[in-house]
Amino acid sequence: MGDSDYSFSLTTFAPSGKLVAVENALAAVGAGTLSVGVKAKNGVVIAVDKKVKDKLCDTSTIRKVEPLFTNVGCTFSGMGPDFRVLVSRGRKQASLYHLRYEEEIPIGIISRDCAEVMQEYTQEGGVRPFGISLLVAGYDHEGPHLFQVDPSGAYFPWKATACGKNYINAKTFLEKRYNDDMELEDAIHTAILTLKESFDGVMDEEAIEIGVVGEDRKFKVLTPAEVKDYLQEVE
Amino acid sequence: MSIFSYNGAALVGMAGKDCVAVAVDKRLGVNQFQTISANFQRAFQVSERCFVALGGLASDVQTVHKEIAYRMKMYSLREEREMEPKVVTALVASMLYARRFGPWFVDPVVAGLDKDNKPVLAGYDSIGAKSEAHDFVTGGTASDQLFGLCEQFWKPDMDADQLFETISQCLLAAVDRDCVSGWGADVFILTADGTVTKKTLKVRQD
Amino acid sequence: MPVDYVETLVAQKGAGFVFDNYQRNQFLASSDPQAFKMPDLKKTGTTICGVVCDGGVVLGADTRATAGDIVADKNCEKLHKMADNICCAGAGTAADLEHTTKKFAADLELMRLTLHRTPRVGTAVTMLSQHLFRYMGYVGCALVMGGVDPTGPSLYMIYPHGSTDRLPFASMGSGSLAAMSMLETGYKDDMTIEEGKKLVSEAILAGITNDLGSGGQVDLCVVTKDAYTMHRNIMAPYPRTRIPKPVMFPTGTTTVLEEVKMLKGRLEVTDADVEMRDA
Repeated sequence: MGDSDYSFSLTTFAPSGKLVAVENALAAVGAGTLSVGVKAKNGVVIAVDKKVKDKLCDTSTIRKVEPLFTNVGCTFSGMGPDFRVLVSRGRKQASLYHLRYEEEIPIGIISRDCAEVMQEYTQEGGVRPFGISLLVAGYDHEGPHLFQVDPSGAYFPWKATACGKNYINAKTFLEKRYNDDMELEDAIHTAILTLKESFDGVMDEEAIEIGVVGEDRKFKVLTPAEVKDYLQEVE
Repeated sequence: MSIFSYNGAALVGMAGKDCVAVAVDKRLGVNQFQTISANFQRAFQVSERCFVALGGLASDVQTVHKEIAYRMKMYSLREEREMEPKVVTALVASMLYARRFGPWFVDPVVAGLDKDNKPVLAGYDSIGAKSEAHDFVTGGTASDQLFGLCEQFWKPDMDADQLFETISQCLLAAVDRDCVSGWGADVFILTADGTVTKKTLKVRQD
Repeated sequence: MPVDYVETLVAQKGAGFVFDNYQRNQFLASSDPQAFKMPDLKKTGTTICGVVCDGGVVLGADTRATAGDIVADKNCEKLHKMADNICCAGAGTAADLEHTTKKFAADLELMRLTLHRTPRVGTAVTMLSQHLFRYMGYVGCALVMGGVDPTGPSLYMIYPHGSTDRLPFASMGSGSLAAMSMLETGYKDDMTIEEGKKLVSEAILAGITNDLGSGGQVDLCVVTKDAYTMHRNIMAPYPRTRIPKPVMFPTGTTTVLEEVKMLKGRLEVTDADVEMRDA
């Protein structure tokens, strides 16, 4: 029946030109928690919903924003375990780049490296695509950058974007709020407000995670205390 | 005799104020005392603002130059920008060290100008031990002589003309005391406006 | 260009050594051992040392790099940053030191990111000694590594063949005996950082003065629980005594046969006839 006839192998095209596995991977992304990224004039912020439904879960050890190198970090929407694979690949690439050229890896390059890995998993036999969309934020010789990498291996630069659950609403919200001469602090507020728009339950410092990189080119994951301060600011 | 003196070479890179120069000899010898060519190229402009000069075994000079050119081409295609001289110095070091246990017999000197027109100079041994210098770097069989001469004649903040005379006189004096290099010399001067001046020197041919 | 050449290069995407030239070089060397002596590699003759102090470690090094009898670099850096809390001083083959410390600094950083912990000094020592043991002394690194971790300050020596020592004070390199004489007389337990800096400087100074493989300036590195502080050229005991006369070669001193000016644009210098291109 329809597409399912062509899902015997994950890497076979349906007659319509679709790759079912990739479409399904996108569905997994859509079901994942919301992540947003906003690029400002002098930096980038990425923020993610990391609320866990289960009350018994020890949430203090959950990390959804990870640094890839000194100047770049990432977050995701979709399946957590898949994220860790890409993070470790990305870190290796960044570290190798630094060993070879003694320079920080440009954001476009590391995004492409991640995208390359994701593309391979749409074509190789015996594997499945990654069930995540990656948001890569960093600062390099050209300035701040925000990239989104999809399960198909496509990657795009953004001024502001969102993926995961309710991403359409989030994007509409960002379109209204965004302007080109936004400062980093504004961008952090905007990112928080975007998450808040569709947030389920109470949004406190344990329920979200934020990564920031500014002109000092140091990617930093904010501590819960710092997140709390920002949350109070947007109140 | 070391394999480095099979063909002979003299190279020197020198920093001036907002300019940098590379001077190389052009002799290609075989087995030390037979001269095959007096027009051998061992200085290469690898980007708009960077030169690599290579001493050592001539076949490796050419192979390493090709490999550097290849890597830099791939880099500029991938990154859509030219490689900065500082990055060239790192690339050469990591390239040579990859062959730690089967080295190319080369003695490279890298000289360029960075975005702020500051000279970038680096010298290496054959397995990629980089030494960066703010004044001058030397290489080839005449490197010992060049060290002495440059120590005496280099001074800070030379303009392009002074730099040319200084580097040329150092090279000419050095190859006079090295029987496997000389026979011809090229000097390249790179200035802040991106101009490269190549001057071919009159050199003793004995 | 032959295709396999490109393939070799492409295959080299990752790290690791390439042995392509090994056979050729062995052949060259065996054909006439007299004629094809392997080249002089750059070494750091070197005096390096370190002491454990109260709440930190102090490491020191001279700045001379040699190639045979020639001073190849008068002011090189022998103190390598391995992590925010670990410093490593190196003696031996310059290329091995530079690249091995860089590689392991990168590995420690990857480890820190994965584990969300600052790496321990002992971990770094184990990683390095395993690497050096694997290469049976051919990777010529003699190291003094020190740092501060949750177990407190610690100092290790690592030998090129992979053996290690943990000590309150240590010295390595060709000037190690000179340095050790100062450490043996001056060391006491629980010195302050300032006392440690003084003792290490004196030990390096002894190496610079009495060992001909060492020279130049004194570099120090202080690692405490809160900070990693590098003191580059903290002492310059033997400044240049010869002041070069400002010799000026008048313009026109050198006879030029041909001059070609290239205004912004690629230069192809294969022949005497140089193509000129527009900007």
